[in-house]
Amino acid sequence: MTIDLNAYLGHWPFRRLRHNTADGLLALMDRAQIDIACVSSASAIFYKNSQAGNEELAEQVAGHEDRLVPFAVINPSYIDWEHDLRVCVEDFGARGLRLYPNYHNYGLRDSCLGELISAATEHDLVVSFPVRQIDQRQRHWLLHIADLSLGELEALVERHPDAKFAFVNGLGFTNSRLGQADSGLPGNYVMGISRMCALMTNEVGALIDSVGVERLVFGSGMPFKYPEVSNVKLAAMDATEQQKEAIRSGNARRLLGMQ
Amino acid sequence: MIIDAHAHITRHSVEDWEARDDSIIAGADALGIDQLCVSITTPSKPSTLEDCIMVNRWAAEGIARHPDRLLGYAYINPGYFQEALDEVRYCIEELGFIGIKTYNDYRCNEPVYYPLVELSIELGVPILQHAGHMHYYNEVQPRISDGAMVAELANRYPEAMIICGHIGGGGDWEWTIKALRDAPTAYADTSGSVVDEGMIEMAVEVLGADRLLFACDNSLTAGIGKLQGAQISDEDKEKIYAGNMQAILARRGE
Repeated sequence: MTIDLNAYLGHWPFRRLRHNTADGLLALMDRAQIDIACVSSASAIFYKNSQAGNEELAEQVAGHEDRLVPFAVINPSYIDWEHDLRVCVEDFGARGLRLYPNYHNYGLRDSCLGELISAATEHDLVVSFPVRQIDQRQRHWLLHIADLSLGELEALVERHPDAKFAFVNGLGFTNSRLGQADSGLPGNYVMGISRMCALMTNEVGALIDSVGVERLVFGSGMPFKYPEVSNVKLAAMDATEQQKEAIRSGNARRLLGMQ
Repeated sequence: MIIDAHAHITRHSVEDWEARDDSIIAGADALGIDQLCVSITTPSKPSTLEDCIMVNRWAAEGIARHPDRLLGYAYINPGYFQEALDEVRYCIEELGFIGIKTYNDYRCNEPVYYPLVELSIELGVPILQHAGHMHYYNEVQPRISDGAMVAELANRYPEAMIICGHIGGGGDWEWTIKALRDAPTAYADTSGSVVDEGMIEMAVEVLGADRLLFACDNSLTAGIGKLQGAQISDEDKEKIYAGNMQAILARRGE
């Protein structure tokens, strides 16, 4: 079984996405042999009121709950987010959050984010952060959004030891405390492998050695990206089948509280 | 058969260059890549002639350690005119390199490129041009070429084989693909760490599979994964994986 912790439905304003409806994504998942995907609204990244994107997502996910696990995009600096969070959890069945501090104009150290993470922890939600959404070289002329700082994510992990974090679409973790043994950080986070090197410099192997395979998850970034790239990475990496299975689904199942 | 048309091996100023080169071969083995067309970039930017010669000798030594797997591009700054041409001719005729690699010392539609292209035609070898188009001023690479410049050069010399480097590593790939549309003799390589879904399909639709070359630029799993995922015919994939590069290599000596 493969669980993709980083998938999307909806629109991106600067490039046409394909496979971005529930039916389209399910077909893409079948093609790439991905069983379950944690999906969030790409549209919500740019909507001022991100809840509208969560509502669109809920409409798409309805009837496909066995394969599509909704993650809510919540902007804690926007009015009424507490209500939105409650609706996403209670009515839409959200199992996690996808957060965009740099797109939504708040900082990783802002109190509003701390309040949201505390609320998410009460609901046992996975709090995921894309370290980047798109490659900087490809950015639109209207937009320049920086990647998240791994150093600030370290501090976030320390401030919220009871939360469950997922850092997806990132790399360079081996250069931060997040990827180092004996860092003193709580073990409450996982990292997606989609941008990590699994051959040559082999960041994936280095992280297995340093922080353990239980910190790594499959998160392709589809349909922004070809999901097959993460499959190739997983197949080619120098790891045991047991370790690959943990990355492919075991760690995500544990994180999501799946049986 | 899979040929990676755009790869790099390691500078010999790096202490463990042999181990690093071996890891590239091991990665290629893991992914079924049979051959890699490689160069070494110069430490100096803009590239000095001395550095170009140095990295080309390093490349020859690196290739000699894996002669069945690695093919060489002669790395050159065309601004050195006759000395640059002499170095390229030496690399092709004496060292057995298969092509020319140019970076960002000049934009490739500048006249300084013309003698180099004319030599590539004489020798029957391709030029792999580093390229990218960003929608902002690229202060790190102010003289980077883009797809439109590659197209202009290719249309000026339609008998040449100009390869636009890394559509997946050069900024706006939709822009690059469209820029190459009306340059029917220009090629594009698929390399780069960007693996946006639909990239390969658009390239095939706009340029045709005959003008695409499989490549990784050392992002090995990205290179293989995007081709595996691309919804194009098996026949087109075979052309991209190896057939088109084999045809380019066969033109030498014609």
